[in-house]
Amino acid sequence: QGLKPLVPTESPAPIFGTSKPPSEAEAFLGKNKVPDLQKVFQRSDGLPVHLKRGVPDRLLYRTTMALTIGGTIYCLVALYIASQPKNK
Amino acid sequence: MAHQAHSYHMVDPSPWPIFGAAAALLTTSGLTMWFHYNTPYLLIMGLISTALVMLQWWRDIVRESTFQGHHTPTVQKGLRYGMVLFITSEAFFFLGFFWAFFHSSLAPTPELGGQWPPVGITPLNPMDVPLLNTAILLASGVTVTWAHHSIMEANRKQAIQALALTVLLGFYFTALQAMEYYEAPFSIADGVYGSTFFVATGFHGLHVIIGSTFLLVCLLRLIKYHFTPKHHFGFEAAAWYWHFVDVVWLFLYMTIYWWGS
Repeated sequence: QGLKPLVPTESPAPIFGTSKPPSEAEAFLGKNKVPDLQKVFQRSDGLPVHLKRGVPDRLLYRTTMALTIGGTIYCLVALYIASQPKNK
Repeated sequence: MAHQAHSYHMVDPSPWPIFGAAAALLTTSGLTMWFHYNTPYLLIMGLISTALVMLQWWRDIVRESTFQGHHTPTVQKGLRYGMVLFITSEAFFFLGFFWAFFHSSLAPTPELGGQWPPVGITPLNPMDVPLLNTAILLASGVTVTWAHHSIMEANRKQAIQALALTVLLGFYFTALQAMEYYEAPFSIADGVYGSTFFVATGFHGLHVIIGSTFLLVCLLRLIKYHFTPKHHFGFEAAAWYWHFVDVVWLFLYMTIYWWGS
């Protein structure tokens, strides 16, 4: 028994230092994915670096090839036509 | 598995050099077709394929360095030499246009009224927007140096802020210069004054756009943790290029804008 204290004796809840420090998953503007990408690009699958990621790389490569090779053929045709003399 | 006994980078076979050459062919012949036959299709194909090749070639360099670790100190030294030589070649490129300007402006012909600026030309006030543009580029030189030091001190937040500010200043310069071009009382067709002014400042503006794009790519790579405090050559190359662009502007400002007004 004893007198019940009017003021609570346990210390009040702390106000400072309560926010948790940024964990790895919440780093500023996204977390570091470089180690994962390093694993992907260092796989021994024999693929050259420009095709290493598979489907998206192949798509871009084929589009570029289509444009450049198709364009070169178009260019040669256009130059052939342009070199024809104009018949008055 | 065989390992190399040297510190150089033997690259994987790549299609980008030959596709890049083809893209250059399409762009140049496309320009001809557009000028003489009024058809833009070849030119458009050329510009798109050039952009695709640049994107993929540089993407592959990032993969080879950051993800595959091929950029040893030896390789980095070679890249440094390469960037220095490239910037030097660009300096000579601009030297030619400055030569043209001084050729016409130091001894103005009777056709121009024997004076510079020629009769009938109202030059831009160098104390107006051009002075603001000078301040913007000088400030961007400070912010890019701030970004560099932040990277070396592993201060991620400040590095991102400083580099973002640099990119914004670069775009601000371009926007102001575009407005100046639109509002200018003279055009490229206005004799040798117009030619020297717009060709010199025009190529400079193109280099500002290239430099801002390079810095923007560096900003994206910085956010994605590609740079380390000791190894961030891509950023250094962009910063060198940006300082070069700044110096060219200072020469343009002092000669064409100020002395030439």
